[in-house]
Amino acid sequence: MAQDVKTAIVDAHIHYSHDAWSVYPPEEAVGILRDAGLRMAFVSSSSDDGTLKLYALAPELVVPVLRPYRSRGEISTWTGDASVIPYLEERLAAGIYVGIGEFHAFGDDVETDVMQAVIRLAREHRLFLHAHSDADAVERIFATDPDARVLWAHSGFTGVEEIRRMLSSYPNLWADLAFRSEHARNGVVDPEWRALFEEFPDRFMPGTDTFTPERWYYVREQAAWTREWLKDLPPELVENIAWRNAENLIQSAKSREN
Amino acid sequence: MIIAHGPWPPAPDPDISNRFSGDDDAIRFGRALFHDARLSADGSMQCATCHEARHAMGDGKPRALGRRELDRNTPALANLSGRRWFGWDGRSDNLWAQSIHPILNPDELAQDENSLARRIIEEADLARTYLEVTGRSPVDDPPREVLVNIAKSLAAWQETLVTPRTAFDRFRDALAEDRDVPDNVFSRSARRGLKLFVGEGRCSLCHFGPNFSNDEFHHAGVPHFTRNGSVDPGRHGGIGKYRASPYRRTGKFSDEDPESAARAPGNFVVRSHDDWGRFRVPSLRNVAATAPYMHDGSVADLPAVVRHYDEINMNLFHEDGESLLRPLGLDATGRADLEAFLRTLTGDPVTATP
Repeated sequence: MAQDVKTAIVDAHIHYSHDAWSVYPPEEAVGILRDAGLRMAFVSSSSDDGTLKLYALAPELVVPVLRPYRSRGEISTWTGDASVIPYLEERLAAGIYVGIGEFHAFGDDVETDVMQAVIRLAREHRLFLHAHSDADAVERIFATDPDARVLWAHSGFTGVEEIRRMLSSYPNLWADLAFRSEHARNGVVDPEWRALFEEFPDRFMPGTDTFTPERWYYVREQAAWTREWLKDLPPELVENIAWRNAENLIQSAKSREN
Repeated sequence: MIIAHGPWPPAPDPDISNRFSGDDDAIRFGRALFHDARLSADGSMQCATCHEARHAMGDGKPRALGRRELDRNTPALANLSGRRWFGWDGRSDNLWAQSIHPILNPDELAQDENSLARRIIEEADLARTYLEVTGRSPVDDPPREVLVNIAKSLAAWQETLVTPRTAFDRFRDALAEDRDVPDNVFSRSARRGLKLFVGEGRCSLCHFGPNFSNDEFHHAGVPHFTRNGSVDPGRHGGIGKYRASPYRRTGKFSDEDPESAARAPGNFVVRSHDDWGRFRVPSLRNVAATAPYMHDGSVADLPAVVRHYDEINMNLFHEDGESLLRPLGLDATGRADLEAFLRTLTGDPVTATP
């Protein structure tokens, strides 16, 4: 009798920020990630202490990504705040992180001293950058460091053609699908997105984005929804999107030459 | 823009999925059923227990008190005709389907199809009126058909509940006719509040049209945990319930012709991740009489509503998920003006149309 085995998923977009800590204590939060059948979760938090709480409990499950925000309100101010740089340097000394992000930077935000330092730190520590950015900002990141590894949060919230252009132009660009719904409906992958997935089978990965505490309840829902539409794709592509691309991103960042 | 918020009352808009819509006998039956405790399993509760005329057809409580405290605020029943969606989460696309939920909810009237059908059959006056309205004895109808017919009768009456004309309507009509109204009808403060409402406040982007609702779903910056620590999924869950329901406009219990039903909005609804925590935009008609506010009754009064939107916490929204709301930064006069305008949307108690 065939077993109903859940497809393993790496959720590339989890936050465990301060307002979630009391609602879901770390044990409960880790329980949610496990219950969703996640193979791993990229966790970044405001503040980073949230990520460390989960990592201490489940290092095999939680993949720490260092967020430059010490609290939520820094989303729109952080690129002008020089104190971010020593904060990141201090945290990175722990040696546990695989990326820096998810940060918000648009257009010429990338030219600020803080973002330039972030790109430098990612290069020095062999980390990927989880960028919630427009295409312009992503291009500026690659202009600064052509060998950077970038995970494009929400696939830039842009359309299929723009994503195609970016993935074609930048072989070290990956894209998460967090908070996007248009690529599948009722378990059927949209034809344009299917073509994109097939053209770039090694770039996409799922994500939830737990940007408020309530959305922790959505992690299981998101995983179930993802498994539903993944069934519409060939098995190898399913494995790539579900987990292999995320793992390859980590390896790619670690193996880069400085 | 202002004129588009009227005229009031709107022309009758019969529910084509309910063959009893507008039928006088069904309306009378529906009214009687609404106030009859025999509609509940144990005879202890009426629809009117929670939908009281003295509370503008709501209950005045933060969260509905059925057989226990429920998770959502009791909606004030008025101006229901012509709506696309019903319930805070839009789980129904017609009023009779929505009326079925409290009948079957174990925490409300707590019936099931069989117990309700038995009750209608066993109570001679109810069985007689059922026959008069439907043309069939409840004995001859399957229990589910009895449930649907009872719900359709309840809906037929609820459709007649309309809020009266208000100071705003007099102002709006005068504007449409290029007249003015005296300040004692529509104050200077209310005029400034109206300007905020349709202008920089952007309230009218959601609270639009004669019923002051776009009949869609939105995240209003209200946390959506329930009291037991779980989460109210809002529209995301509502779409799931809608799809699972046999009582849709396209379903076999609907009286709508299939060609028309095929154009119903429910056929085109798509569930997305940002439906999580969205709730139906409520009408603002009679708003001063329907406190407390929001899907969970967590905002106590109108000044608090104005303050909520004035200081809205953008951290509750996704950076790319909310384009309408932002803190308004009103001063005390601005807040008072907006409240003064909202109060002009309230008139006398809800009445049934003749």
